[in-house]
Amino acid sequence: METRPEITKKHKKMHLSRYRNRWGWLLISPAVSGLTLWVALPLLVSLVASLCDWDMVGPPQYIGLNNYKMMFTVDPSFWQAVGVTAYYTFAGVPVQIIVAFVTALLLNTNVRGIRFFRTLYYLPSILPIAVNSVLWLWLFNPHFGLLNIILEWFGFPPQRWVFGSETVIPSFILMSLWSVGSTVIIFLAGLQGIPRELLEAVEIDGGSGWHRFRHIILPLMTPIIFYTVVIGFITGVQTFTQPFMMTGGGPANASLFYVLHLYRQAFQFSHMGYACAMAWFLFVVTMIISGVIFKSSSLWVFYEGEVKK
Amino acid sequence: MLYSVLIIGALFTTMPFLWLLRSSVMNMREIFTMPPVWLPEKPQWKNFADVFTMLPFGRFFLNSGIIVALNIIGALFSNTIMAYAFARIDFRGRNIMYALCLSTLMLPQVVTLVPLVVIWKYLGGLNTFAPLTVPAFFGNAFYIFMLHQFFKTIPLEYDEAAFVDGANYLQIILNVIMPISKPALAVVAIFSFMYTWNDFFGPLLFLNEEKMYTVALGLKMLTGMYSTQWHILMAAATLVVLPLIVLFFFAQKYFIEGLTLGGLKG
Amino acid sequence: MTGGVSFAKDVTLTYVYWGSPNEKIAIENALADFETAHPGIRVRPMYLSADFVGIEFSAKMKALAQANVLPDLGYFREEDVGDWYAAGRILDLARYVERDGMDKDYLPQVWMRLDDKIVGSYTAAECQVLFYNKDVLREAGVPEPPTDYRNAWTWDEFVAYAREIVRDRNGRKPGEPGFDPNRIVRYGIGMDLWWAMLFPPLWSNGGDLVSRDGTEFLLDKPESIEVIQKIADLIHVHHVMPYADPSSAAAAAMPAPAIMLANGQLGFFITGQWELLDLAKMDFSLGVGALPIWKKPAQMYISGASVIFQSTPHPEEAWELHKWMMTPEKTLDLYTSGLWMPTKVSWYTNPTDLSKWIDNPVHPKGYKEAVVDSMEIARVVYSAAVKNFARIWGEAIAPELDKVWLGKATAEEAVKAARERVTQLDLLQGAWW
Repeated sequence: METRPEITKKHKKMHLSRYRNRWGWLLISPAVSGLTLWVALPLLVSLVASLCDWDMVGPPQYIGLNNYKMMFTVDPSFWQAVGVTAYYTFAGVPVQIIVAFVTALLLNTNVRGIRFFRTLYYLPSILPIAVNSVLWLWLFNPHFGLLNIILEWFGFPPQRWVFGSETVIPSFILMSLWSVGSTVIIFLAGLQGIPRELLEAVEIDGGSGWHRFRHIILPLMTPIIFYTVVIGFITGVQTFTQPFMMTGGGPANASLFYVLHLYRQAFQFSHMGYACAMAWFLFVVTMIISGVIFKSSSLWVFYEGEVKK
Repeated sequence: MLYSVLIIGALFTTMPFLWLLRSSVMNMREIFTMPPVWLPEKPQWKNFADVFTMLPFGRFFLNSGIIVALNIIGALFSNTIMAYAFARIDFRGRNIMYALCLSTLMLPQVVTLVPLVVIWKYLGGLNTFAPLTVPAFFGNAFYIFMLHQFFKTIPLEYDEAAFVDGANYLQIILNVIMPISKPALAVVAIFSFMYTWNDFFGPLLFLNEEKMYTVALGLKMLTGMYSTQWHILMAAATLVVLPLIVLFFFAQKYFIEGLTLGGLKG
Repeated sequence: MTGGVSFAKDVTLTYVYWGSPNEKIAIENALADFETAHPGIRVRPMYLSADFVGIEFSAKMKALAQANVLPDLGYFREEDVGDWYAAGRILDLARYVERDGMDKDYLPQVWMRLDDKIVGSYTAAECQVLFYNKDVLREAGVPEPPTDYRNAWTWDEFVAYAREIVRDRNGRKPGEPGFDPNRIVRYGIGMDLWWAMLFPPLWSNGGDLVSRDGTEFLLDKPESIEVIQKIADLIHVHHVMPYADPSSAAAAAMPAPAIMLANGQLGFFITGQWELLDLAKMDFSLGVGALPIWKKPAQMYISGASVIFQSTPHPEEAWELHKWMMTPEKTLDLYTSGLWMPTKVSWYTNPTDLSKWIDNPVHPKGYKEAVVDSMEIARVVYSAAVKNFARIWGEAIAPELDKVWLGKATAEEAVKAARERVTQLDLLQGAWW
């Protein structure tokens, strides 16, 4: 603190925007170099590969836009995969976010033993996916499974769950609700960051619980909600591991998620070029939709850190 | 009222986990008996010992521990700095760089796996921990985005006050932003731990020798091609999950103790 | 060691393989024995986790190939052998096999012959087996099936017996008034339904998936359709078989039917020979019978492959190790435990050799007649030979057959749709050999 006057002078001398540019670029330089090496470079390779017939065993052969043509006009599973993925994403992600948000509100209370409950609620998200999948295959099993036993208690007929073509996607959504813990703790961290005196101020003004939620909690949480919407969408369209481990895309391609189709093309059927073309199509579509979500954010996302600009 | 809701929810979340626990002390046949039994006739504690004789899990735990520790350190420092720059420094080219950074989340990783292996071959990193740890120090768009959103909720006056006091950006990050962002940083640490601990695809691609393998890979190995000993698998899964539960139980105190913005202001 | 061939000193070979922990121990022991017998050659095991469809293994191998750091030899996905040989990645073994006179000692199916070349060998031998729970059969008053594969039950006899086994929770049989197909507590038949498991019944009835030269789609022949429809009828008409999703990766590895068999909830189980490993560990009276016959007896030969990679700097030493791993004595556990059947002729014909692997509590009475002898007529599956086989099954046939197993389409409708997919994707590209 002794040097304060000197540094302030320096700040004044240096043009503020130049100072910012220098620091900004300095701080993001690791990301730029890392992402270039580990993301941009492989990305470029995949773009080139999407124009080739490449089995990853021999050398790639240039075939122009044939992979893209195949995708849109020949492959009967392509549009199936698009449909499955859209169904899961647009039906599942909103439900996941709402359930996670409500759970976070519930866990944000300060009652006795809440730490214990938080841990219990987070448990499912901790399990390795390999174990998670095995557990749920048991629960879903039409003959041994716990879920059909529970249905029977209430007099409902047994279901096929992930083994039925109509029930497989709803079953995956149900399963995803079980492990929304990751989203819950993001919300929880956000809720914990809401300034207490803001909440107290409403109470003094005689505002109701709903009032407090609607006018303080919800607006302050919008940056976090925005984050979960974007990430939920991006990870939703890239859903892969559960169907890969549990259903292999079946039955009758009813759970052939986009990235699962892509993965099988790449490694099981040795069509890396085609897989890359599929990846780039997804990339572009995801960018466009994310762009729309980002553009919409100015309408509903409230940034405390941007009030003064 | 609150408790009954909490308890019903907890039943839903813990049921499958209890199923895992009870299966880990059963024999193969009991696990699948129909109608299901909830407790084993005689607990098979031997399953846990078998895990260690079948595969060198002690070694796997050590390897995973090293990789996870480096990943957490890397993730906390690199992402905080970068997210700060994107969220709170108004520099030229910021928006385009941020968009590029986020766009890396949108390409399915499947297609970059093979090129990555080739790149790491030229960097001399195959069959070492480098490909599994070094990238953590160079930022991850997922965490950058998340921290960016959290940092955006902090009023800019804090930075300005520190700036007027003569602090540079690095000092602001260390002394102002990090202390009030403990909840968010705890989330990054937990996610980074979980992701690294459970990832088997990275280790599968980059490691060739058993002595380098991780617990996630070891777990995968227990599910054999033609025969899976489910009781051993469940015991191993229980062992693999325990450190995560303990970690979470302790890490979450930061959600409560982490200074809230209000606390600082007052 | 082979006379006349000398090995370099200080050679290190990398041997890649997958498998359960039991298999791992057996392979590691065999590799260690090899090192002891060959001073100067070191073997580094590269043990990869096994996934159910081999995709992860394939991903790893492709990455290693692109980085030019492939191992020297080891296990390999048999569907990929043709592609990899064509790309110059796999060593032709023909001259080694001929030089060492290996040909006559091994089953003719073992060698993967491409014209005059040998691009790999099958690691073991496997086939389809009819397992059953003796107590369940006795309790239901059903006789044990014959063990002579030439004089087995017909399919219709088999189904009729299976119907006798089925009970709903009120003890009723299919066809009795009040029978509740949603609450069956004991089923007659369990059957895995992925591609290999369909070959023996299809072949037995004169049907097939595609022609062996990979040029013709044969699943829409009436003989093929009949088999598919009658298997689906087990689920939806006779209620003797539980519905299971065959394309499910992990479900295929779930021992559901095996456990049901052991727990007395299932009478018969048609599956791969390798299930014996699991079944023998469970405490119940296990029997084996001959596969039911449609028109004539049929059996398949199936296994993963073993290859030597072209990039190995030490082909002579790699071949020595490859031969070593083909010798059943070196990995005896894998045979006595029920996982594998041997590839050597004498282990089928010579009583002394035969007793080395089947005279033990794991292999039930009748195994010799029902399983070992049926290998006389075993035709090798063509998953490795027919180009695009993985796609023909995975992209065209499996999704359509799923609809039949689900009861949403008839066999005839499904095979028609499957043919359309095959044509649309232009999948029939001939065969490697």
